[in-house]
Amino acid sequence: MTTDMLAVTGGTKIFYRGTQDERRALDGLDIALKPADFCIVIGSNGAGKSSFLNAVSGKLPLDSGRISIDGQDVTKLNAHRRAQFIARVFQDPMIGTAPTMTIGENMLLAELRGKRRGFSYGLTAARRARYSDQLAELNLGLEKRLDMAVGLLSGGQRQSLSLVMAVSTQPKLMLLDEHTAALDPRTAKLVMDTTVRAVEELQLTTLMVTHNMEHAIKYGNKIVMMDAGKVLVEIGQEEKRGITVSDLIDRFHTKSDAIALQGS
Amino acid sequence: MDVFSSFYGLIPVTIAQSLIVSFVVLGVMLPFRILNFPDLTSEGAFPLGGCVCGTLITAGINPFLACAVALVCGFAAGCTTAFIHLRFKINTLLAGILVMTMLYSINLRIMGRTNIPLFTYDAVFTILAGASANFPSVKILIVGLLIALVVAGMLYFFMSEKGTSMRAVGASPDMAEAQGINVGTATIIGVGAASALSATGGSIMVQTQGFADVNMGFGILINGLAALIIGEAITGRQTILRQVLAPVVGSLVYYQLISFCLTLGLAPADLKFATGAFVLLMLALPNLRKSGGGVQIREKVRE
Repeated sequence: MTTDMLAVTGGTKIFYRGTQDERRALDGLDIALKPADFCIVIGSNGAGKSSFLNAVSGKLPLDSGRISIDGQDVTKLNAHRRAQFIARVFQDPMIGTAPTMTIGENMLLAELRGKRRGFSYGLTAARRARYSDQLAELNLGLEKRLDMAVGLLSGGQRQSLSLVMAVSTQPKLMLLDEHTAALDPRTAKLVMDTTVRAVEELQLTTLMVTHNMEHAIKYGNKIVMMDAGKVLVEIGQEEKRGITVSDLIDRFHTKSDAIALQGS
Repeated sequence: MDVFSSFYGLIPVTIAQSLIVSFVVLGVMLPFRILNFPDLTSEGAFPLGGCVCGTLITAGINPFLACAVALVCGFAAGCTTAFIHLRFKINTLLAGILVMTMLYSINLRIMGRTNIPLFTYDAVFTILAGASANFPSVKILIVGLLIALVVAGMLYFFMSEKGTSMRAVGASPDMAEAQGINVGTATIIGVGAASALSATGGSIMVQTQGFADVNMGFGILINGLAALIIGEAITGRQTILRQVLAPVVGSLVYYQLISFCLTLGLAPADLKFATGAFVLLMLALPNLRKSGGGVQIREKVRE
């Protein structure tokens, strides 16, 4: 039996506990991912998808429950310590990169994720050459602009850069938080294609949150539907084959939520 | 012609003074531009450095050691400000004002009185240069070398692995955290280092002016900010080299401007108002241009 790459057991997070506004963001969430699983997380607004991702990344400490990555208990590690295992691409391209720093410097920050940072010179010639090679695979010409500030790039270029930064260190777990939602359809497809290529080539264990049902069906080997902070439906590889958008919505029986899904 | 000859005569003294204040301007730039942490601690850390250094020198401590202790005290003051902001979620400016205000009492307690004369004691300058220490050119050389070392050190640090991660904290804290950078630690060390620079400036200042005074920091922050803005207007901010040079260049130009205005007959009493108005103008300039558009929109609505 292989160890799960990600295992969340009884993950619970309650906001404003004991007040009238009490809200269960995560309510006994259980989920397990095998190595190289590409899991798509769907659910209506407020279902707990973002809380789930934030709990895994360490940004949102759990009230109770356990999280382990590749067999190691990380429940008590804070976000910057967990970064040695996790790479993350944010929805907002402005957040996932440092806009006032250059492309090369952003690549450097990603390469040293979770490693010791010393007083030695950062952007050495060897690193610059390596970053150029990694960026060249995007076919966006970024490899020739290592000294350009990231803030000058378009949203799509920046998300592509974020993706290269995320996969450059072969993370144990990659978190994609609606990372194509802020892009136009053509750019979104480009970024999505790059994502799939990287995930397959590097056999990355990936969690992808999306509102796009087409993406949920087309990509990944596993679908998790969340509602009220729990996993409502889990669809595995066999079952996922040949499933349609309406099938998905049928499975998601809560009526109001189905409406919300259709709308998006 | 008299006006100009008195201005020319003052140039060397002014250069020496502006090089010393460059420490403070570097200390204003670091949190403001690198960490995106607007910080007012300098206003208290500058006299703190002066008071600590002055008190130690009169107690017979070696001036170099006195400067080093002043630096450490400044570092602690800056760390306190950053800690107050991070731990209690108090606005950075307010945290700075709190520390600055409390430092005033601390500075008075350290000195035991408001002013200590240091003319009769050895200073770093008299140790290094002997009897010629009072020439402005000697001071320019010594402080100039020191500031060149500091700027080169900062430039190297900000291009190192550690320094790059500190800059990331200012550029995007979420991204920095996701890359495994401890945002809290980097902020505390960065703001601490900035106040250490300001305190070092204070410790050198008391040794050139020959006394330590509890009120010597009054207005230093706005002077530092004015110098920084002028410097950035000259050097730009596109690269880390330009960003690190801006404080020194700005300080050199700013104090000559002040000296020129004073010799032209600007009343010293009006100086702070003039400086404040200048900083306001420079900060407002980008929005002044835009406001034309705002008026047009309002007129359209009226139609």
